[in-house]
Amino acid sequence: MTEEPKKIKRPRGTARLIPGKCIACGARCESECPKDAITMNENGEPIIDLELCTRCRRCIKVCPVEAIEIFYTPEEQKILDELAAQKAAAKSEAEPEAKEKDPRLEKIKEYKGVWVFIEHTEGKPAEVSWELLGVGADLAKTRGVELCSVCIGDNVEHLCREAFTHGAGKVYLIDDPVFHYYRTESYYKAFCFLVEKYKPEIVLIGATGLGRDLAGAIATQLRTGLTADCTGLAIDDEGFLLQTRPAFGGNIMATILTEYTRPQMSTVRPHVMALPEKDTKRTGEIVREVVPVREEDIAAKVLEIIEDQKLDSVDVAAADILVSGGRGMCNTENYSILQELADELGGVVSCSRAAVEAGWMPLERQVGQTGKTVRPKIYIACGISGAIQHLVGMQDSDVVIAINRDKQAPIFEVATFGIVGDLFQVIPAITNYVRELKAKKAGTAK
Amino acid sequence: MTSEVIAFIVVFAAAILFFVWSCYKRFGLVLKGRPDNRFNALHKRFWNMLFYAFGQRRVVSKPFGINHFVLFWAFMVLLIANAEFLLNGLAPDVISYSRLPDGAYFTLACIFDIVSVLALLSVILAVIRRLTFPPPHTEARSRDAFIILSMVGFLMIAFFGMHASEIARGAERAADYMFISNFGASIIPSGASAGSLETAANVFWWIHAVVLLAFLNYLPYSKHMHVLASIPNCFFKSLEKIKTQSREEFTKDNTFGVGQLDQFTWKGLFDSYACTECGRCSDVCPATFTGKPLEPRLLIHDIKVNLLKNGPKDSRAELPLIGGDGEGSVSEEVLWECTTCGACMEVCPVFIEHVPRIVDMRRYLVEMKAKFPEELLTLFENMEQRSNPWGIAPPERTKWAADINVQPFEAGKTEYLFYIGCAGALDARNRHTTLSVAKILDASGVSWGTLGRDELCCGESLRRLGNEYVFDVMARENIKMFEEKGIKKIITQCPHCYNTLKNDYKQYGADLEVVHHTELINSLIKEGKLKLNASGDLGNVVFHDSCYLGRYNLLYDAPRQVVTAATGKAPTEMERNRDNGFCCGAGGGRMWMEEKEGTLINVARVEEALEKKAETICVCCPYCMTMFDDGLKDKDAADKVRVLDLAEIVAKALPE
Repeated sequence: MTEEPKKIKRPRGTARLIPGKCIACGARCESECPKDAITMNENGEPIIDLELCTRCRRCIKVCPVEAIEIFYTPEEQKILDELAAQKAAAKSEAEPEAKEKDPRLEKIKEYKGVWVFIEHTEGKPAEVSWELLGVGADLAKTRGVELCSVCIGDNVEHLCREAFTHGAGKVYLIDDPVFHYYRTESYYKAFCFLVEKYKPEIVLIGATGLGRDLAGAIATQLRTGLTADCTGLAIDDEGFLLQTRPAFGGNIMATILTEYTRPQMSTVRPHVMALPEKDTKRTGEIVREVVPVREEDIAAKVLEIIEDQKLDSVDVAAADILVSGGRGMCNTENYSILQELADELGGVVSCSRAAVEAGWMPLERQVGQTGKTVRPKIYIACGISGAIQHLVGMQDSDVVIAINRDKQAPIFEVATFGIVGDLFQVIPAITNYVRELKAKKAGTAK
Repeated sequence: MTSEVIAFIVVFAAAILFFVWSCYKRFGLVLKGRPDNRFNALHKRFWNMLFYAFGQRRVVSKPFGINHFVLFWAFMVLLIANAEFLLNGLAPDVISYSRLPDGAYFTLACIFDIVSVLALLSVILAVIRRLTFPPPHTEARSRDAFIILSMVGFLMIAFFGMHASEIARGAERAADYMFISNFGASIIPSGASAGSLETAANVFWWIHAVVLLAFLNYLPYSKHMHVLASIPNCFFKSLEKIKTQSREEFTKDNTFGVGQLDQFTWKGLFDSYACTECGRCSDVCPATFTGKPLEPRLLIHDIKVNLLKNGPKDSRAELPLIGGDGEGSVSEEVLWECTTCGACMEVCPVFIEHVPRIVDMRRYLVEMKAKFPEELLTLFENMEQRSNPWGIAPPERTKWAADINVQPFEAGKTEYLFYIGCAGALDARNRHTTLSVAKILDASGVSWGTLGRDELCCGESLRRLGNEYVFDVMARENIKMFEEKGIKKIITQCPHCYNTLKNDYKQYGADLEVVHHTELINSLIKEGKLKLNASGDLGNVVFHDSCYLGRYNLLYDAPRQVVTAATGKAPTEMERNRDNGFCCGAGGGRMWMEEKEGTLINVARVEEALEKKAETICVCCPYCMTMFDDGLKDKDAADKVRVLDLAEIVAKALPE
């Protein structure tokens, strides 16, 4: 057809692991690969057999942290660019107005900007809000729009300033005693009011108990789509928000598009997105709004907030460093050596089921199948043999350090570092070493 | 017609009318239950009734059951005597066994006399037992029990009083054959006038008549309703051993599980009438034994009380079946304590079906109310999403075979599918068992293959925990896969998979030949395909029966024979073994739950094994393996005692 009937072979590229990005999620890529081209090394990272690989990209899609990519050499990239240019040229000739005819698409163009909801409990912010500002900033940058926050509450102006330091350019503030406590009815009405007035294209909310409740109510009221528990957010070529989340138990990753309605709403669980750098010098614009929500109109009244009665209010699931003890600790008193180490590291003490059953530790600290599932940066397993019930609760930790007398203990199968020895000698030694390091560091700092 | 006869006719008519009315009122409630066909295979049912009700097969399995046997048969014989007694009272001149020829009359009189004294003796024994050696539960000393026993006692005393008086005044021609009554007559002072003797006989007659009719009318209002209900209950008993629970139909607007009594089947309700609260079920229940709130006896009692209270009313919520306070309501905690070990059903003399009732109520909690212990949430999610209890990625299923060569199952090429099971494939400890089984199969030349990473969980725990919907989905998926791959014969290493593939899936029309490794190994040894070098290295091997292998599928001998072949010595038995075996505590989905109340079941069982000076504990189930491993650590005995699966013991005895 064209003057140059050259048949350029589309370069296939090479599937490869981006070093350092794999979180050893449990071999999702391996199970996804239709050609069995992926095997796992002992760290749970994929080894891709390029002979077998068909570049189907399923592994890339299933990876929760985008640790696998298709790599093109510069030559290959050049051919690709050429192909893309040809395709774009062909496209611009063929269908210049096909899409514009859809009135629904016309309408959504009015919506601009990325919004992040600032969740707080009586003025105390939820960390996830700041995490969302991080990913929100990327989205806003790609779209070339503004990153805004929505803050609803009573006497919460300080949160606006904190939002600026985390990257928000503008905060819509609704400050009224009606919003002192979270109630679905008042909050979703206020939020919808803002959306209808300012028309954002993307709304991000933390997938906490409160966030899940609120997001659903807003989406229902606005008749728009909502993707819960996203693990990845990105913008595609046409400007749509690509909302990626695990489906069918993480066996596949679904990427969801909100095509014809706005805003595009997503919730994201805490600790999924990275916390952005704080810049205390940043400021922004506060837009105050008054919403016609009156106390009389709300059916639910908050009579009393009953604090969680549990004495042990430590949340092991939220800790970055866990020092965990098992049956090998022998008694309650011995946990003090774990506590010492945890204190030095700025971590929290957790335990296995055996320790709870023996009555050494409270149930809230239990990690495992019937306890909490944790994903700390460092998990130090002391005297835990690593029965499967325990492993499933902690095997996604970034680094696992196991200390056990028994060389055969299954805990060593998941451990990044294993120490075979008497924990009553090993742990105090580590604690002392950490202390020394700290002292040295303090010394050099002076 | 004398005035006395007229008086008796009135009393009799009133009593019978009231009795019929009571029975109608009470037994009529059973019809509130859902349909359940228990009228098939009548000849077999009839035989069951003869064997278990009239033969008292299970009652006599405990020493004191002999007493019940005597009392039961005394009642049977006296039923004839008392029928004659009542009819004679109504028409003294027409019906009387004294009108029979001498030989027959004397024989009957002699039998009735002896049987009556036997009944009296066994009542006295029963009273003494209740007062001195009470069964573990004090309710056996209830007022109910003593009322009924004293009534029977009174009946017998009146019987003898009546006949003794008659003999004393010379009006009994069978006197020489009625040894006891005759003895009674001999102690009556000889000076008594004929008139006073006649009066005495008359008074005793009336006492006998009134107590008899009162007894009859008391039955429907006491736990002794079992006198009326347990014989039919043996007739209606499940024709097969209860190895599974019924399917549910997942259609729109259907309700699932049992949340109120009319959702039970009628048999489920009738069971509660047949219960006489003997407490044998509670004696063997692992939950009761370790101080948990579940007592099977009370559970059945609560169903009965609920039925009697709510049944007659149309307003249903009067007393909730689940979650209410006190008698007549089953608490949620109770339902979750059951390990479905089936020990209760194994001992129940009248075949009450405890486990299916518990699962019915669990289904209601899970499917209708979404209320279950929070630790099960993880399990349910993992099962639904990743088809294994731990939520581990499917490729991990093949890791156990990293160092050996395993073929995938191919119809026509491989004979057996080796269905590894989640624990066998994913749990580090149980992978050793899987490897041992593989080794044994290879050593015996068995042709086998696996499903590799495509294997799915069988869903056993879900079914026992009442998550029937997800189980249903998983069962269909598995059966479809088996059909597509042409799988007909399956080897399992887990008794839970075994029972589910074999018995649960049968309800879905699956035509599978399922064998547990113990069964297969035993037949391989017998056929000479597997040669073992028996060695005594393992020391004293104590054998533990897995509930789902033993009680559920009657595999008691196969594993024991294998142990003998592999160690050269029969295994040591624990105190509770075979059909009386004590659960490890992990069945019925308890594996995935915390044990918050009482002491630990697995520790209790480990203690029992330690009493027998175990050096090796032989198990046949991955759950038992975990429970024993844990229990031994709790008892600080893990260094001295090891737990091995039967397959591991056999693998050690394989010739090099």
